[in-house]
Amino acid sequence: MLAEALLAANALLVIAVVVGFYKAWNIGANDVANGMGTVVGAGTLTLRQAICLASVFEFTGAFLVGSNVTKTIESGIVPINLFVADPMMFGVGMLSVALASAIWLNIATLMSHPVSVTQSTIGGIVGFALVCALGGPGCIQWAKLGTVAITWVTSPLAGGIGAFVIYKGIVRYILKSNHPVHRAKHVVPVGFAATLSIIFLAITYKGLARVTIDRPLYQLLGITACIAVVSYTVVRIVILIRTRGKTLESQEGGYEVVERWFGRLQVMTACYMSFAHGANDVASAIGPLAGSMQAFKCVLNPDMHLNPEVPVDPWLLAFGGAGIVIGLATLGYKVIIAVGQKITEITATRGFSAEFATASTVLVCSKLGLPISTTFVMVGAIMGVGLARGFAALDLRRIRHIFTSWVFTIPVSAFLTAAIYLLIRSLGIA
Amino acid sequence: MTSILAVFGKSPFEPLVDHARKVHACVKMVRPIADAVLACDMDRLNKLQHDMSKTEYEADLLKDQVRHNLPHRYFLPVNREDIERFLGQMDRIADDAQDFSIVATFRCIALPKDLHDDFLALVDKVAQVSESLLGLAEKLALLQKEAFVGSDAEGVLSRIHDVAHMEWESDKLSRKFARRYFSTPGIDPVTIILLDKLCAALGGIANHAENVGKNLRLMILRK
Repeated sequence: MLAEALLAANALLVIAVVVGFYKAWNIGANDVANGMGTVVGAGTLTLRQAICLASVFEFTGAFLVGSNVTKTIESGIVPINLFVADPMMFGVGMLSVALASAIWLNIATLMSHPVSVTQSTIGGIVGFALVCALGGPGCIQWAKLGTVAITWVTSPLAGGIGAFVIYKGIVRYILKSNHPVHRAKHVVPVGFAATLSIIFLAITYKGLARVTIDRPLYQLLGITACIAVVSYTVVRIVILIRTRGKTLESQEGGYEVVERWFGRLQVMTACYMSFAHGANDVASAIGPLAGSMQAFKCVLNPDMHLNPEVPVDPWLLAFGGAGIVIGLATLGYKVIIAVGQKITEITATRGFSAEFATASTVLVCSKLGLPISTTFVMVGAIMGVGLARGFAALDLRRIRHIFTSWVFTIPVSAFLTAAIYLLIRSLGIA
Repeated sequence: MTSILAVFGKSPFEPLVDHARKVHACVKMVRPIADAVLACDMDRLNKLQHDMSKTEYEADLLKDQVRHNLPHRYFLPVNREDIERFLGQMDRIADDAQDFSIVATFRCIALPKDLHDDFLALVDKVAQVSESLLGLAEKLALLQKEAFVGSDAEGVLSRIHDVAHMEWESDKLSRKFARRYFSTPGIDPVTIILLDKLCAALGGIANHAENVGKNLRLMILRK
């Protein structure tokens, strides 16, 4: 009996790893590259360069900042220690979550329905908790779940407001002024400095345990300020050298110059987007995997017990990051090309506004351990720029379509997970 | 999951520019028609009227295209009503140009030689109004790209005044011409009626062009 259980646990572990990888690959193949598309379309980077940069930042985001959200998915919604008596149950449950959301993802893609992996994962966890013997509605951390659900509404809102304010600011301060190029000379370095220092702070402040330096906040803020000042100065000097002796304003009316400079800045924000995306979305692939792995390890080794305090295995995060990168390299480039062809809509100033707001919102949520949908936030940010008169036409019906998708994604994945879980149970494995 | 592109609709601004070009193509035919009127060349007038109807019909098709691409579920940088009004006024320019071509075919208009210059001056001025309006309308797509601010927007705003000024000049020419054909003795009353109708059509073109300009100003200045 024990031997059978061990065998089953080993087999399920393999399945969990495969499904986890598949989901990471899927995330990489689908929505990683929205940011990079604008940069490639504008000709600032080649496709190869963009994929390399996106891979690096996606991976570092997932590896160094991905643990908070992963922890939430692993044991924040349903406490892992409830299952100490029967780790197999938790392991199978988490595996069902992973399977169900992978299946739902494929069905939705076939029906060309926009769904969020994050939301289907959360829905799956709820479904599992409701039907398993040790669970029931009482075991769900409703407060945490509520916070997550509220963030699904507030994060696109935050992205929208952020993008609106940034784009309005650019229009008011730069484009509307009599000396747009002169103004842009000051703003572009600020954008570089802000992006770099935010990424640095995100990595170092309460980053991945044992891998990143863990220092008190005031020290980190000091270093961050230094990074900001240095990067500002460097970019400022580069701009001054490049523009020395040229009268840019008179020859082109300024608008093209400003857009070109923001195009350079967009390389930075596209990296920032990849970084934030990796930090948040790796969790939906790796969270259930981390949970089932811990559970199956406990089955295989009776001395171990399920413990919510166990930090996420860095290798698991690296594994998820690698999966995303492979997805990006194998299929994600198509998104880059598709977005790039729409470059006339997404000019550099608009792209910068939407991307900076999106990445910042997603990154803050990642640090807070809140699993959200990057696509939602991006759509919110695009609407923000649209409200600031940024886009020629936004299709409100499609937007509503995207936002309402989560209403049915949650119950469907909950139901699917419960069905898969009960099926595996009925096979007598767990 | 979906590419972020799904949320972008079709821009109405490029089709608006196409429509404006087609409308101006109608107005550009007014001068050849006026020449044919003075020459009493009925064959040519009928042919020109036919061409005019065709061009006006094409403009109508373009207009419908813009309208169809502009349903309520779109989220635009300018008021939808401003776009509709812009289109509507543009459309009436083409209608008036067509009216002009039709009235011209009713019968030979025997205009005394010394009134020819006044008539042609009015026709040319109206064509000028339309041409300078087209120059502005063609900037619409560019203005949208530049968020309706900056030097291009300022330039368009200041040149909207020029359109209005030209419309006023064409009004003056029209009044002067009317005074002359009403006061010149010996003109056949039917000719006067036809001249009145031709002038009304020309005045309509200039008026609607001015209105389009005002509309464009509202679009740019919308806060």
